[in-house]
Amino acid sequence: MTTIPEPRTAPAATRQQMLLDPGMDLTLRPMRYPHFFDRFKDAIKNTWTVEEVDLHGDLADLQRLSPAEQHLVSRLVAFFATGDTIVANNLVLNLYQHVNSPEGRLYLSRQLFEEAVHVQFYLNLLDTYVPDLDERTEAFSAVENIPSIARKAEFCFKWIDSIYELRELRTREDRRAFLLNVICFAACIEGLFFYGAFAYVYFLRSRGLLNGLASGTNWVFRDESMHMAFAFDVVDQVRQEEPDLFDAEMEQQVRDMLAEAVECEVQFAADILEQGVSGMSLGDMREYLQHVADRRLGVLGIEPMYGSKNPFAFMELQDVQELSNFFERRVSAYQVGVTGSVSFDDDF
Amino acid sequence: MTVTQDKTSVPDQRRHGMQVRKRNGDLETVDVNKIVKAVERWVADLDEVDPLRVATKTISGLYDGATTAELDKLSIQTAAELIGEEPQYSRLAARLLAAYVDKEVRLQGVASFSQSIRYAYQQGLISDATAEFVARNARKLDDAVDEDQNLRFEYFGLRTVADRYLLRHPQERTVLETPQYWLLRVACGLSETPTEAIGFYRLMSSLAYLPSSPTLFNSGTSHTQMSSCFLVDSPKDELDSIYERYHQVAKLSKFSGGIGISWSRVRGRGALIRGTNGRSNGIVPFLKTLDAGVAAVNQGGRRKGAACVYLEPWHPDIEEFLELRDNTGEDSRRTHNLNLANWIPDEFMRRVEADGDWSLIDPSEVPELPDLFGDAFDQAYRAAEKKAVKTVKARDLYGRMMRTLAQTGNGWMTFKDQSNKLSNQTGEPGNTIHLSNLCTEILEVNSDDETAVCNLGSINLGAHLADGGVDWEKLRTTVRTAVVFLDRVIDINFYPSEQAAASNPRWRPVGLGLMGLQDAFFVLGLPFDSDQAKELSTRVQEEIFLTALEASAALAEQFGPHPAYAETRAAKGDLHHELWGATPSQTGRWSALKERVAATGLRNSLLIAIAPTATIASIAGCYECIEPQVSNLFKRETMSGEFLQINTYLVRELKARGLWTAAIREQIKRAEGSVQGIAELPADVREVFRTAWELPQKALIELAAARAPYIDQSQSLNLFMSAPTIGKVSSMYLYAWKAGLKTSYYLRSRPATRIQQATVAVTSTARTPVVTAPVVVAPVAAISDEEALACSLENPESCEACQ
Repeated sequence: MTTIPEPRTAPAATRQQMLLDPGMDLTLRPMRYPHFFDRFKDAIKNTWTVEEVDLHGDLADLQRLSPAEQHLVSRLVAFFATGDTIVANNLVLNLYQHVNSPEGRLYLSRQLFEEAVHVQFYLNLLDTYVPDLDERTEAFSAVENIPSIARKAEFCFKWIDSIYELRELRTREDRRAFLLNVICFAACIEGLFFYGAFAYVYFLRSRGLLNGLASGTNWVFRDESMHMAFAFDVVDQVRQEEPDLFDAEMEQQVRDMLAEAVECEVQFAADILEQGVSGMSLGDMREYLQHVADRRLGVLGIEPMYGSKNPFAFMELQDVQELSNFFERRVSAYQVGVTGSVSFDDDF
Repeated sequence: MTVTQDKTSVPDQRRHGMQVRKRNGDLETVDVNKIVKAVERWVADLDEVDPLRVATKTISGLYDGATTAELDKLSIQTAAELIGEEPQYSRLAARLLAAYVDKEVRLQGVASFSQSIRYAYQQGLISDATAEFVARNARKLDDAVDEDQNLRFEYFGLRTVADRYLLRHPQERTVLETPQYWLLRVACGLSETPTEAIGFYRLMSSLAYLPSSPTLFNSGTSHTQMSSCFLVDSPKDELDSIYERYHQVAKLSKFSGGIGISWSRVRGRGALIRGTNGRSNGIVPFLKTLDAGVAAVNQGGRRKGAACVYLEPWHPDIEEFLELRDNTGEDSRRTHNLNLANWIPDEFMRRVEADGDWSLIDPSEVPELPDLFGDAFDQAYRAAEKKAVKTVKARDLYGRMMRTLAQTGNGWMTFKDQSNKLSNQTGEPGNTIHLSNLCTEILEVNSDDETAVCNLGSINLGAHLADGGVDWEKLRTTVRTAVVFLDRVIDINFYPSEQAAASNPRWRPVGLGLMGLQDAFFVLGLPFDSDQAKELSTRVQEEIFLTALEASAALAEQFGPHPAYAETRAAKGDLHHELWGATPSQTGRWSALKERVAATGLRNSLLIAIAPTATIASIAGCYECIEPQVSNLFKRETMSGEFLQINTYLVRELKARGLWTAAIREQIKRAEGSVQGIAELPADVREVFRTAWELPQKALIELAAARAPYIDQSQSLNLFMSAPTIGKVSSMYLYAWKAGLKTSYYLRSRPATRIQQATVAVTSTARTPVVTAPVVVAPVAAISDEEALACSLENPESCEACQ
């Protein structure tokens, strides 16, 4: 077991302090990781509130859904009911503790706020979609009651627990365990479980259904994209500082982890699509998840495992900018936080 | 990337044993060939469509035991999903949808247009008059139906028609009319003879002209509310009047009208209430109530109502007003459903420019300000300043307006003096325009007991081109027909409030608009900001205005001038373009027209307004009104779902150069619909295919100002800025005011960051979702501002009523 030198309260001149070195760095100037700070500022521009999402129209849609689609929606919201809370917990219990950079922690604080907004959004969603109190309680305890969701939750808890006992990342093994946790939450949980869930939402939207859910999801999705990007920034940073942490063994661990995540999500899909949904077959869903997993590997510089293509044209639509109509949906694109002062000779 | 599965072959478990349930309940094995045949029927003129691909992809999304109706729907969806690769799939999807709708109509035993009307009449959906008209002329009308006109539709347009415009059975919700029956029904609702009806039907089914949505929804039906816009004067400064306005707004909303309402007469926060010796809470709590009221009233069961509140900037509550749309702060002081507009006197802009003070004045102290404009306003305002509630720096207030615009897109800048001085309706003192409408293209006088009304329609310029230019004769013919039928609406219309019924017959205003200007520029190869484009747009507008006035003069010769004609500026010999001091090109026709007007007057006080046309432009398959394209590739989100829209002119250009490849497509997608980075495209082509974000906004303002003399109401002019700053926005709107624009509409901006693209290949940059200023490889020389290159697309929220 290689041992990393003892942590110091102030970095010694002999060795550059590194991101995962234990401690509580409080120094913002000079800033060591300005790109983390940029992420923080960008995130603030994306501020949205739950009150802006109008779920009113969804109620009529819910009545129109076929039993198979209703089953899909009820499973989906049950997953959403606890998904973001799990992510928030890992953030507080693990990430915040070990990312030793005040600007990085600024971003994580912001992310925590966003997770809280997401939790509030899904709370509001369930309260609206599930008027029956008993059913609602059941939805919130999906982690215990619904096997396909329980399996995903177990996967998450396993990875939260994997480093939960670590107070400081002293050894190479500690740091690799931490990286696997970061990669798990970015690539598997936010990057695969949530991307899987978003696919169902966007499938419904492409059919003109549940626009309220879709517009809220749009904002959630936008936030999650940022979370993932930040997490991969952290991974990149650590890779730059400590390249020897990354080796073939770690690559294999990441691949195994993603393969397990894909299996978790496929068994969830089998449950969700159990009754047959026209336009979304289980085979296509599996292919989509494999495609997403390959993309996550690509970002980490690892060869793809599946070589699957995206079968869902409606997901390609998510990559194209929208032009929606305010009668039908709220604007999700305006910036908050415009700067400058009145002037009459600026170029425009 | 390796492909483990051959996508062109259907996986085993799907090929064998997959069954569908037919309408009679029988199970049937899914047969690829059958689907291929159904597709092949429609592809005679679509050489790029691959029927087998549609069929196999359809089956891959199917589940065992699906119904044949699900199969049909899925094949439409599947075709639509291929539009991004090949735009011809849009036509295919539209045709499959038309066939689906046709089947639904026929299944109810409807075999002809007249049967469709009879059936709908039995369900209580059609007016007595239209039912009788159709019964009387059944054979002629049935023979006029031309189902081949369906071939003109793009998918998004026809989907919109099918989901929202076609009459449905009140209980079963099945469609009772085909798209062609629908247009003929609209024509019959406004016609006196079958010949007239057939002529109007042919014009609409050629998609060269479409009336606005309320007419398309309601003509011929049992509730003929066909007007788009209602302009309600501010309630008086008293409780009864305020609550009367809520009631009126509710009634107008119920029948699909878009509402503009002023609130400038109501006292501000802290003003004394003599009756109770208390202090007023100001206008915000009342607007909150209006907000809830508007949301509660469902427009004809279709969607929530919508309204825009206008306030003059001297009102004491102006600062709180500007915060009504913020997404932070106390929710009891936020109105999420109301749009906001500033109704700005020139005096304010002058003080902004001179960096002067600005006085906020309570209307309970000085009630006459809303009724004054020009010198009279300036004098009254200056005299009232000694009673000011508060004094602010004009620039500070202007800066807040700009901030609201940049952050919310809302808080539109509309100019009171220009709107009034250059209006045909303000020829007599006492007639004042107090506000514009929900889309800022309508400017009409109103008062406490007269609510201004306007019905609209738009010409598709793209359908009036021939031989490398405009087909002027065709354009004139279209204008003449359009004016007759817009005028006809005034008499047949149902008015939801007595104030509206009091105004419209007196003034008889109509709003003839334009759409597809960008299509014309693409076809003719003109950059949007070129001198030729400006010249063409101005000449087109002059031709439309001149011909519309001639048509209105002809109507006046037949039926007499509109009752309030004597109060107009035209009656005094001044036509709108003369008020501007513009020099028209067709001097002979103009002087002949003036003689006719002098002799017999005009049937309509106002004729031209450029509405946003979001919905009808979709139906016609053209670009919206006078707008530049927002992107070469974007999607629309509506109640019907999501729809990919690709610039077919660009695709044609790329195909001609052998550049329509998967790699280029991905490049365009990654650049969010911009082609400025495609080095293989020559600079002049890239210049033509710039997006609204890549054009200098000055050019948009100048084009609008150049055509403005020939628009006697106004135009819904959106401005685009991907990364607005207060400095840029304030410069831009000062320029717009100085250019003489009467009104402006949304300020479009784009998100700070966006969702990670899920389907473009992973590259070192693709994983960064921050795209406020994407790297553009080879910008065309004309653009200096790097941020303006960042292509994106916002939601042109628009008034359905005006569309």
